[in-house]
Amino acid sequence: MKRIPLPLIILSLFLTAFLFAACSSPAAEPTAVPEPTEAPKEEPTEEPMEEPTEEPMEEPTEEPMEEPTEEPMEEPTAEPTEEPEAEMRTDNLEGETITFYHFGDLSGPYAAITGPLINGMEDAVAALNEQGGIRGAEIKIEFADTGGSVEEAVAAYDRFTSENDNIKIMFTYGSGEVEALASRFAEDEIPNLSAGLSATGFYGPDSGYTFGLGPIYPDQFGLFLDWLTANWADVKPANAGDEIKLAYISWPGAFGQGALTDETRAYAEELGVEIVTEEIFDLSPTADATTAILNAQAAGANVIWTNTLAFGPAALMNGLGALGLQDEFILAGDNWAMDLATYAFVSDPALAVGLISPFPYLWWTDTDHPGIQYAQALFDANERGPGEHNVGYLLLVAGVDVAAQAIENAIDEVGYDNLDGAAVHKALTEMGPYEGLDGVIRLDYSDGSRSPHVAQIRQIQGGPDAFVVLQDWTETPDLRPSE
Amino acid sequence: MAVIRPAGDYDTSYEQDMAVIRKRWQLALLLAMLAALYTLPLYTSSATVSFVNRAAIFIIAVQGLNILTGYTGQISLGQAAFMTVGGYVSALLMGVWGWNFFLALPVAGLMAGLVGLFFGLPSLRVKGFYLVMATLAAQFIIPWMTSNLWKDVLNGAQGLNVPVPEIVLPVVNGLCYLGTQFDAETVRCVYRFSTPSQFIYITLTVLVITTILALNISRTRFGRALISVRDNDLAAELLGINLFHYKLRAFFLASVYAGLAGALLASNLRHINSETIGLNDSIIMLGMLIVGGMGTNVGPFFGTVFMMLLEELAVWATPIIVGLISSGVLPGNAAGVGAALRPLIFGTSLALFLIFEPRGMAFRWNLLKASWRLRPFAR
Repeated sequence: MKRIPLPLIILSLFLTAFLFAACSSPAAEPTAVPEPTEAPKEEPTEEPMEEPTEEPMEEPTEEPMEEPTEEPMEEPTAEPTEEPEAEMRTDNLEGETITFYHFGDLSGPYAAITGPLINGMEDAVAALNEQGGIRGAEIKIEFADTGGSVEEAVAAYDRFTSENDNIKIMFTYGSGEVEALASRFAEDEIPNLSAGLSATGFYGPDSGYTFGLGPIYPDQFGLFLDWLTANWADVKPANAGDEIKLAYISWPGAFGQGALTDETRAYAEELGVEIVTEEIFDLSPTADATTAILNAQAAGANVIWTNTLAFGPAALMNGLGALGLQDEFILAGDNWAMDLATYAFVSDPALAVGLISPFPYLWWTDTDHPGIQYAQALFDANERGPGEHNVGYLLLVAGVDVAAQAIENAIDEVGYDNLDGAAVHKALTEMGPYEGLDGVIRLDYSDGSRSPHVAQIRQIQGGPDAFVVLQDWTETPDLRPSE
Repeated sequence: MAVIRPAGDYDTSYEQDMAVIRKRWQLALLLAMLAALYTLPLYTSSATVSFVNRAAIFIIAVQGLNILTGYTGQISLGQAAFMTVGGYVSALLMGVWGWNFFLALPVAGLMAGLVGLFFGLPSLRVKGFYLVMATLAAQFIIPWMTSNLWKDVLNGAQGLNVPVPEIVLPVVNGLCYLGTQFDAETVRCVYRFSTPSQFIYITLTVLVITTILALNISRTRFGRALISVRDNDLAAELLGINLFHYKLRAFFLASVYAGLAGALLASNLRHINSETIGLNDSIIMLGMLIVGGMGTNVGPFFGTVFMMLLEELAVWATPIIVGLISSGVLPGNAAGVGAALRPLIFGTSLALFLIFEPRGMAFRWNLLKASWRLRPFAR
């Protein structure tokens, strides 16, 4: 048989591919170019820029916008609303299901935090279902393990979106996946409640549907710097001078480097805090941070900030203990650093004493609080082990409360049959200040903000669980990335 | 491997001898398979299409590794790092400088190839495990560079967002053709490859091209020289083959393939950072090649798909096993199942292949084909 020339094969493949690509589009037929969009666009650009844009922009928006919206809007809505209004189901949704999709790392480096997050969601959802679900609709959970891989997260997202083309809400837990999927969430109009608090994921150019269960890492870092500068004279290490010299010692990657942005650098400078060194250590339970600590000491640092969790802060605590430098530094970290998961990796619990963190939720020891009592009751009823009595479990119990409330609000607004991600998104942004689980977390997604801007400052003072409040709920600086 | 054919079935010309597709039914089968793949979005779920997308991307990277390790015998643990280079180059070209994806893709491959050349330099002086260590350096240096150097451009550890690939056509008579949609901003007709069902046309086309290239490389003088370097480098050198030259070319090609795969991966994920693909992936790709069959053209296909299916199996089986443990049917710690199952399945399958079929699935496939050709005399 004759051989086919290679260029011919390649050419034909390109053509085939393009034809298939063309055919797969919903509008395979030639699409007519919408006339009105061309006309107003081109005319003003030819004329001097300012005048025409002011006139055509304002006049048409005032006149044509108002008139047509009043007339056509009312007519169609007036008629159909009468019929559907009777049918708009906002209550008694027995037999319906609403699925919460979530994916996270159960088999990789962040498993120590993700495991309790997932169990928190399962227990909270089970309890909610026992109480009648959301207006009678049962809540189901779909989970996929990503092993900490962004690629797996995208695959899980594709899988979920292919199974259900009307996903109301998703939950994610990693900064990497939040950043990678932000544009997809926005494009597919799926609100994402996230515990991965990456600034880029929330406020990147293509984002808009990702909402945080805590302040973004730059805001947390900023809040700590505020507190530190205000209290430096009282809390500074014995050998430290008046100048605050900070070493950023963290993991590589989106989460580890998440607090160090242009905005936080500028903010630190503004407050007179000098970032003297940036050190990286391995994202591994066996990582040794002593070299990084010694580098920080050589650079004259008296404060260490780490954006790590579980074995991350533990590596620093162990390193400081081994080097006998505990008294020379103030050790601080993001909200995840102050957690019981850290204790599993600290050689001596006493080494954890002194850690300071922004703390955007209440803690298990706040036993007077009804939200904490509710979470504790869930925890006990489900016989969870002591290792899960941590931030992840608590945060997701509160997160489920937020999601359920947003969905209820959306149902009230559009009815169950019209409930979709866009409606839930709208509900989240219109919720205003909201206290999840009666105030265990405090959120406000209004005015373009998609992450909370309040937190406490706590310090470990004593054994596990002794996370003592140094500063009550305070507004964080707004250090979201500039456009 | 020599093609085993029944007596009487022989070639009468050089063209016949060199033909890849020997029979008309083989051509028909190939075309049917391609058609089935290209029309996949029409009859399968988006999840399946997404799986095929990822598989195709990794097959391209493993094909590159096959040229370097399978044909030339140079073991590399740097393939994922070269993918990172490709991903970053395409992200920069598209996101920062506004290049079209179809221009950025080959440039990303070439840039990764140049970086691969640099890391291939030690291959002149070292081989075997020592070369593995040298290539491992790439796996540490490149991700470190991407997250710590040129932060203004590469955006540090946060990495870069990658725009969706698109085809832009002019408006003809006020109409947009070939499924493109009118974009009011640019006043042009645009087709965006934003979903897996659209992106698959790109990955499949690149895969077909890389497969044809890889197939022909192995049949040329260059390919035979690579194989001779692998089989006995001293003898090859005595025959006049410039070892350094050929090893470097193999490194370059392997890295070009990795760069292409990296660019595709970055566009598929719409994001790239230093953690997107790492050492673990380099090891897995080597495992895919071993399982599939080193030094064969079908090996990367078999190995990649097989290993990825095993991963899917692990994902599928995890909740079942967790359920069995939670309900007391199985002993163990339910929380650790997810963490244990995937590496366990990967390690076990690799060990089993090394023990029972070190020549990989491709060898079994060839035996199967030979027995079909020799029927009814095949055993």
